[in-house]
Amino acid sequence: MMPFDIAYNTLVVAAGVAAVGFAAGVVGGLCVLRKRALVGDAAAHATLVGVACAFLITGRRDLPMLLVGALLSAFAGLGVLVLLRRFTRTRDDAATAIVIGVSFGLGIALVSGIPAWGYPDSAGLEQFLLGHTAAITARDALLLTGVACGALAIVALICKEAALVAFDAAFAAAAGWPVALIDYLLVALVATMVVVGLPAVGAVLVTALVVIPPTAARFWTDRVGPMLLLGGAIGLVAALAGVVVSAARPGLATGPLVVLAAAVVFLVSFFAAPSRGWIARRMQQARLSRTWNLAADSSPGPASGGPDC
Amino acid sequence: MDGSGIFSGGHAGIHAWAMATAAVVSASCALVGTLLVVRRMSLLGDAIGHAVLPGIAVAVLAGGKPGGPLVFLGAAAAALLTVWLTKGLRAAGGPAEDAGAGVVYTTLFAIGLIIVTAAPAGTHLDAACVLHGDLAFLPFDTVSVAGLAIPRGFIAGVIALVVVSVATVATWKLQVFTAFDAAAARAAGLPVAAVTTGLLAATAVATVSSFDAVGAVLVVAMLVVPAAAAELLVHRLHVMTLVAIALAVVGACVGYVAAWHFNTSAAGMIAVVLGLEYALAVVFTPDDGIVARAVAGLQLAWRVACEDRLARVWRAEEAAVGGDAGRAAIPHGLLDACAGWWLRRDGSLERVADGWRLSDRGRRAAEMVVRSHRLWEAWLGRHAELPLDHLHPPAEWVEHHLGAAMRQRLEAETGWRESDPHGREIPPEA
Amino acid sequence: MSVGGTGPRAPAPAPIIDFHDVTVAYGRRPVIWNVDLEIDAACLFGIIGPNGAGKSTLLKAALGLVPLVGGRVRFFGQPLGKVRSRVGYVPQRETVDWDFPVNVMDVVLMGTYGRLGWFRRPGSRERLLARESLDRVGLADLASRQIGRLSGGQQQRVFLARALAQQADVYLLDEPMAGVDVRSQEGIFRVLAELRAEGRLVVVVHHDLRTAAEWFDRVALVDMRLVAAGPAAAVLTPDNLRRTYAGHIDVLEELGQAVAKRGRTP
Repeated sequence: MMPFDIAYNTLVVAAGVAAVGFAAGVVGGLCVLRKRALVGDAAAHATLVGVACAFLITGRRDLPMLLVGALLSAFAGLGVLVLLRRFTRTRDDAATAIVIGVSFGLGIALVSGIPAWGYPDSAGLEQFLLGHTAAITARDALLLTGVACGALAIVALICKEAALVAFDAAFAAAAGWPVALIDYLLVALVATMVVVGLPAVGAVLVTALVVIPPTAARFWTDRVGPMLLLGGAIGLVAALAGVVVSAARPGLATGPLVVLAAAVVFLVSFFAAPSRGWIARRMQQARLSRTWNLAADSSPGPASGGPDC
Repeated sequence: MDGSGIFSGGHAGIHAWAMATAAVVSASCALVGTLLVVRRMSLLGDAIGHAVLPGIAVAVLAGGKPGGPLVFLGAAAAALLTVWLTKGLRAAGGPAEDAGAGVVYTTLFAIGLIIVTAAPAGTHLDAACVLHGDLAFLPFDTVSVAGLAIPRGFIAGVIALVVVSVATVATWKLQVFTAFDAAAARAAGLPVAAVTTGLLAATAVATVSSFDAVGAVLVVAMLVVPAAAAELLVHRLHVMTLVAIALAVVGACVGYVAAWHFNTSAAGMIAVVLGLEYALAVVFTPDDGIVARAVAGLQLAWRVACEDRLARVWRAEEAAVGGDAGRAAIPHGLLDACAGWWLRRDGSLERVADGWRLSDRGRRAAEMVVRSHRLWEAWLGRHAELPLDHLHPPAEWVEHHLGAAMRQRLEAETGWRESDPHGREIPPEA
Repeated sequence: MSVGGTGPRAPAPAPIIDFHDVTVAYGRRPVIWNVDLEIDAACLFGIIGPNGAGKSTLLKAALGLVPLVGGRVRFFGQPLGKVRSRVGYVPQRETVDWDFPVNVMDVVLMGTYGRLGWFRRPGSRERLLARESLDRVGLADLASRQIGRLSGGQQQRVFLARALAQQADVYLLDEPMAGVDVRSQEGIFRVLAELRAEGRLVVVVHHDLRTAAEWFDRVALVDMRLVAAGPAAAVLTPDNLRRTYAGHIDVLEELGQAVAKRGRTP
C-alpha cells in the first residue's frame, strides 16, 4: 500500500473513533443526569453474547453484522433487566449485577468455545473484550461515524425533553410527556453507543467511555448544554489518545488506554475546575472562614445561609 | 456423554481438584454476597471484583505468590481504596454513588490491565486470565502439603473460606443489625463503619480467592446470583445464607461439568448455571414465583366465581320471586358456568323444576358472602363519605376478602346493626 | 331529569375535578378506598390527613402518575389527557436532585414546554412569561442562580413559578409548605390567594391543621378513604378530626394486605 493509503486509513479510523467518543460522551451525559449511569454497564456486558452469536450465524468476522448482533443482545439484556425489576422482588442493583454477570458469563462461554469448536477465522473475537483499534478498517470506521452522527442528531432533537425528564420526571409525566418512552429512547441510545464503542474500547471497559467524560464535564459548568458538549469533547480526546498510543504500540489493547486518558482528564477536572473543583472549593472555604472570623471579631454573628427569602 | 465421563480416564484427579476449588471459592463469595445483596451493595461488590486487579498485579510484581498473603493484602488495599475514593468523590462534591463507583472501578481496572500487559512475560499474569480466570490450569500449580500435591488455588480458597466464615459468624449479629437498619445501628452505638469495612475486606478476600478461578469480571456472578436466588426462596437471613452457599456449590460443580462437556470456559459456564438457578427460583418460588402467582390468581378467580354464583341464587330467593331463581342461574360467562357445574356436583346447588335452589350447605356459604357484603356496606357507609348508590360496587369485590374474625370486628364497629344502609337484613354468622 | 319548565335546561357545568369511586393500589395492595369527591368552584381547597394517609397518592392518581385500580377522575368533565394544558402540578421538593445543572430560569422555562411541544426551543415569548412568573414569586433577581444554591423557601417558590408559567386553570400542589420557613409560607400563600382571586382552582395537599383552618375555603379529610369534605369550618370539627386522625384504618390496612395476598383476612 502506498503511504498515502496508510495515512488515509489511519485518519479515517481516528475520525471514526473520535466521533464515537464524542457521541458516547454526549449520550452518557444524558444518562448520568437521569441517574442511570450503570445501565450502560449492563448493556455492555450483554453485547458479547450477540457478537458471538452473529459470528456463529454468519461464519465471518464482518463488523456490521457483529455489531448488529451486539445491539440485539444488548437490548435483550436490558429487556431482561426490566423484567427482573418489574416481576421479581430482587432489588434494582442486584438485578443489574445479575444481568452483568450472567450475560457476560454466557458471552465468555461462547467466545471461548468458538475457537475450541473448530471455527476458523474466529481468533480476534477476543478483541471485543478490551478493544483493538488497529483492527478497525476505514469502511468500519465510516459505519461507526454514521451511527454516532445519527445518535447526535437524535440527542439534538430531544435534548430539552430528556433534560426535563431527567430533572423532574413527576412534573414531566403530569404535564403529559411520555416519560417511559423518553426513557426507553435514552436507553436505546446508550445501548447503541456502547455497541459502536466495542471495537475501540471493548465490552469490559466501554461503560467508562459513557460515564467518565460527562462526570468530568460536570465540574466545569452548571448548565446542561455545555455539560453535554464538554462531555463529548472529553470523550473525543480520550478516544483519540487511545488511538494514538495504540498506533505507537500495536500490541496493546486500546480499551485501557482510552479509559486511562479519560481518567486523567477527570482527575484534572476534579482538582482544577474553577468553583466546583477541589482546590477552588478549599480556597472558597478558607476565604469564607476568614470573613466569618473577621466579622465575628467586629460584629454580632452573621445570619446563616444565603440572602434571606 | 454423561457426567461420569468426566471422571473416567486419567484426569479424574485434575477435575476433582478443579471442581473442589470452584466449589470452595463460590461458597466464600455466596457467603459474603448474601450480606452485600441485602445491604444493596451488589454493585459495590462488582466494583471491588474489578478493582482488586491493580492490587493483585502490584503484589505479584512485588514478588508475591499468586494466592499468597501479599496478594490478599494488595487486593484488600485496592478494595478499600475503591470504596474510599467513591465516598470521597461524593463528599468532595463529585458524582453521585453510581457514577462515582463507575469512574473509580473502571479506572482502577484499566490501570490493572495496563500493569498486567506491561508486566514482563512469565510473571504469571495474563490479560485473558484476568477476564475469565483459568480454572482448567489451576490444579497444575501445586504445593506439597504433608506429602500430597495440593493445588495452591485450592489451599487459598479453603483459607479464604475459613477466614470469611469465621469473621462472618463472629460478627453475625452486628452484620444482621447493620444490614436491616444501618441508621438504627449507628444510633445504638454500634460500630457501623467498622462493620462495613470488615464486610468489604471480606469481599476482597473472597474475590481474590476466586480470581484465579473465574477472573475479575465473573466474580460478580458468584457474589450476587446465588444470594439473589436464595432471597427469593427463603426469608430469614441465616437460612438465606446457607441456601445461597448450597446453590453456589451446586452451580460451581454443575457449571464445571457443563464446561467440560461443551469444551468451553468453566467460569463462563458457572455463571450461566448460576443464572439458570436464579431463573428457576423466579419461576418456581413457592409463595412469590411466577407459577405460584398464576396459581393463586386462578384460585382466587375460581373462589370468586363460586361465591358470586351462590350469592346470586341466595339474593334471588330472598327476593322471593320464583322465576328469578331460574334467571339467577343463567351463566355470566365461562367461569361462572364452570362454577355452577361444580357447585351442583359438590351439593351446594340443587336443580329444581324452574331453576336452581340452594342446599343447606350452599345456603350457609351464600349467607356468609352476603353477610360480608352488607357488613362492608354498613362499615363504609359509616366511616367514609360515600353516597348510598356507591356502596355496592366496593362491597362486590371486598366481600370475597373478609373472614369470620374481620366480620365480627366490622359488626362491632358498626354498632351491631341488623340491616345494611339500604335497609336489607344482614344474615347472622353461621 | 327536568321537571316542567319552559324549555330544556342548560346542563350543569361539569365540576372542575371529579373523583368518582377512586381506588388506588400500590402493587396489589389498595391504599385509597372508594373516594368520591367533586370540586366544582374555584377556591383554595385543602386535602388534609395524617402521614401515610394517601393524600399525595390521591393527587398523583388524579394526575395519572399512579394507576387507578377502580373509578375515574375527570377534569372539566374530560379525562386529563384532553385538558393537560389547563392543569398545573407542583410536586414535592424531595423528588428532585437540587445538584442538577440548571439555574432558576431554566427550571421556570420548563413550565412552558407543555405548550411548546416536541422539538421546539423556548423563545423570547417564553422567556418573558418566565420572567413575569419569577416576578410574581419575588425571585426575579435570582434567575441565573444554580438551584442548589437556594434556600428551601426559594426552591419552593421556583417550583411555584414554574407552575405559574404553565398558565393553568387548576393547580395541584403537593405539600408546598413542607420544610419552608414561615415567611416564605406566607409569601406562597399570598400567590395562591391571588390565583384563587383570578378564578382558578388551587388544590393543596397540606399537613398542618393549624394553618389549614385559616387558609383554605374548603377542605377534604382523607385517611385511606374520604372521611368528610366541604367548607373548612363545617368539616374541621373535633368529631371529624378524631375520625381522621385516630381512625379505624387498621381495618383497611389488614384488608389491603389480604387483597394483596389474594386471600381472605383471618
